[in-house]
Amino acid sequence: MASVTLEHVKKIYDNKVTAVHDFNLEIKDKEFVVFVGPSGCGKSTTLRMLAGLEDISEGTLKIGDRVVNDVEPKDRDIAMVFQNYALYPHITVYENMAFSLRLRKMDNEEIHRRVCQAAEILGITEYLGRKPKALSGGQRQRVAIGRAIVRDPAVFLMDEPLSNLDAKLRNQMRAEIIMLRKRVDTTFIYVTHDQTEAMTLGDRIVVMKDGYIMQVGSPQEVFDTPKNLFVAGFIGSPQMNFLKAKLVKEGSGYSVELLGVKIPLNADQNAALANNKVGTQEITLGVRPEHTSVLFDGKQNAIECSINVNEMMGSELHLHLSTVNNDSIIVRLPTVDLTQEQRKQLSYGNKMYITFPAKVMHLFDPKTEKNLIYG
Amino acid sequence: MSKKNKVPEVDIVVDEQAGVIREVKPEKTRSKKGHERRVNTSIYVILVIMSIIWLAPFVFLVFQSFRSYALESGGMVDYLLPKHWSLDNYRFLFDGSNFFPWCGKALITCGIAAIGQCALLTLAQKKLSNMDSSDKKGRLVWLLCTLAVGLVVFLALAAAVQGMAFAGNVGKICIVVALYLIVGYIMARMFTKQDDRLLRQIPGYVADEDSSPLKKLLSLCLEFLAMDLILLCIVSPMVTSQYLRWYGNTLTIALFVAVLQTIIVLSVSYTLSRLRFKGRKLIMNVVLVLGLFPGFLTMITLYFLLKQLGMTGAGAVPGLILIYVASSGMGYYISKGFFDTIPKSLDESARIDGATRFQVFLKIIMPLAKPIVIYTILMAFMGPWGDYVFASYVAFGNVPNYNVAVGLYQWVNVNDYQGYFTRFCAGGVLVAVPITALFLALQKYYVEGVTGGAVKG
Ligand SMILES: Nc1ncnc2c1ncn2[C@@H]1O[C@H](COP(=O)(O)OP(=O)(O)OP(=O)(O)O)[C@@H](O)[C@H]1O
Ligand SMILES: [Mg+2]
Repeated sequence: MASVTLEHVKKIYDNKVTAVHDFNLEIKDKEFVVFVGPSGCGKSTTLRMLAGLEDISEGTLKIGDRVVNDVEPKDRDIAMVFQNYALYPHITVYENMAFSLRLRKMDNEEIHRRVCQAAEILGITEYLGRKPKALSGGQRQRVAIGRAIVRDPAVFLMDEPLSNLDAKLRNQMRAEIIMLRKRVDTTFIYVTHDQTEAMTLGDRIVVMKDGYIMQVGSPQEVFDTPKNLFVAGFIGSPQMNFLKAKLVKEGSGYSVELLGVKIPLNADQNAALANNKVGTQEITLGVRPEHTSVLFDGKQNAIECSINVNEMMGSELHLHLSTVNNDSIIVRLPTVDLTQEQRKQLSYGNKMYITFPAKVMHLFDPKTEKNLIYG
Repeated sequence: MSKKNKVPEVDIVVDEQAGVIREVKPEKTRSKKGHERRVNTSIYVILVIMSIIWLAPFVFLVFQSFRSYALESGGMVDYLLPKHWSLDNYRFLFDGSNFFPWCGKALITCGIAAIGQCALLTLAQKKLSNMDSSDKKGRLVWLLCTLAVGLVVFLALAAAVQGMAFAGNVGKICIVVALYLIVGYIMARMFTKQDDRLLRQIPGYVADEDSSPLKKLLSLCLEFLAMDLILLCIVSPMVTSQYLRWYGNTLTIALFVAVLQTIIVLSVSYTLSRLRFKGRKLIMNVVLVLGLFPGFLTMITLYFLLKQLGMTGAGAVPGLILIYVASSGMGYYISKGFFDTIPKSLDESARIDGATRFQVFLKIIMPLAKPIVIYTILMAFMGPWGDYVFASYVAFGNVPNYNVAVGLYQWVNVNDYQGYFTRFCAGGVLVAVPITALFLALQKYYVEGVTGGAVKG
């Protein structure tokens, strides 16, 4: 139960690789923060600096009000769950979970109480007498989490705890972590490269790339108002579609011109663009697949595409389209209200028309990659 | 006909006709099994021959050691089995010593003391389990009393049975008892799974609460025996024969070296495997290069150094311990290699769990590296146990300070080759005993792999 503050934290490894640049973040008490980003972006490095497993090259790290740059991991009052579990193989599950408590010279009854309670929460009571070798991956992961929660730490760190599990188990454990979080009321910092995990778990998401923070915000904020091209592309699945387009300023209003189609922007967008002093320019237009609609009849003000691939996902169709400029677009189409006739039309090579309203469009500067409205 | 080339040569040479190929086909299906059997047979033959080569000298040695030097010749003979089986040679090794009575008395003392202490502890445990667990002081007093009573009983028995003279030796005895308390404490801390932490503090109470009475008894007995031996050496030294003296020297050296060298080697290996510091690579490379030179190149220098310290001749035992232990850090390769295979995330996890580096080493790495710890102990013990080169020149000319190898060699070389050969053989057989016992006792730890399930593999 403590806040965590990172001020201008920087990590330079021995081989002169700068893994984290100027990291600034304030994590409130009892907040669930998720670090997300592609492989090698410095998530683990940041987490390991928090844990005290890596030195901090520059900047200050505070847990609560205490500067902990030079504090040993054991004195930071943190617990960490590792991607590869890191269970002690020579002792039983019970002893694994009791290890940290024994080091703290806690009473035996208290140890027993805590271990049993944690085991109950995680549903591993029947495995307490086994060695880690005799457990499945999912069970081991629970033990690893159990080992962390018995400590009742100030900050709870997790480094891709679910990435070694298969898809089904991962979904289940994700739900369990959400429930766990309600029971174990403490500060969580969670690292993942999976944006679904990030969206579902986090109070706030920190999107990282190449050691820089790209955006910090609630899942909704990050999804609705991505600050730049990277965040827009990283959050959301399937990925946001990016198209070359032109932003035209006409008097006080703006509109987007795209493949001969002209879409006027709405009042809020106009105001924001004017406020940001944006003129007529080339832009990268971003539209999410689920915000695009397909027109089966009429093609006024719609973009012509041809169908490349038609992926049937059950409740929805993913259409991979290409425009006349060979930009590719993905469209998500719910299957419930498609007629038999319409389904037939959606086969390979056929022409079709798509459209989207102004409010779902994200406008990015192709050079700075910043969002022209929110950036 | 194209198959002809693949067929074993013998068949084709015999007959060049088409029949050969027909002959070969059934042969091919059969040959797989036959081939396997042939390979197995040859492996067995080779193994048998090799073991004969290995075993023959040892068997020869054992047989010779049972040939009486009084009734037959004490030297080399051209027959294998002795004509008169006897224990003459072994008797000679213990000539003039009171070794066996000494051992018997020690066993009696320790046995009785252990039974007594065990009963007392069981009583204490019963009493404690009825006691209020928050009354820590009361519990401690109870336990300490139990312990003290056990000790007094032991010392009284030692005085009565073994006739130990306590009068002028109070200081020494106090030192030994203190040593016993410390060692017992450490052992108890390390090996018990006892829940009652107070009970754990009891030295001597090595066995678990729930382990069998026999096990408890044995462990107590062993501890008393260790103390008894030390006491006996100080208070009433055993009268020894020349051979026993050498044996004792060797054992002392080997035990000290085994303990010290193991500690040093494992610490150095852990450090090099886990810590990153300036010059780490350099140290490893330098040590590697230095290791390429044979150790005895430094012989002369070492001799003069030891001479300055007064550790040659009469001081050969500490001198040799110093030599063997001094360079032991250089033998880090194997254990470092093993430590490297233990995932670093275990260290990290333990450190986050609240362990210091030393606790990580002791509680995580050591149990996981059991095979390599055992290996290190064995090697550290065997080096000095069988060493001749260093031992011969450090103790040069000072017969009572020889080790077994040098002493036995002196019998056949300096004394009388024809007269002492069978006695030499008997000495050799006894030298093999502790090593064999050590290997057999520690063998099972060698094989087991313990890292399974640590991390996702
Ligand atoms: N011990 C190290 N020495 C030198 N460079 C390192 C070290 N560890 C990581 N790096 C580098 O630092 C950068 C960030 O690594 P980090 O492990 O933090 O990535 P990550 O975001 O956790 O990726 P992943 O999702 O694959 O785990 C990478 O470019 C990596 O090559
Ligand atoms: Mg990582």
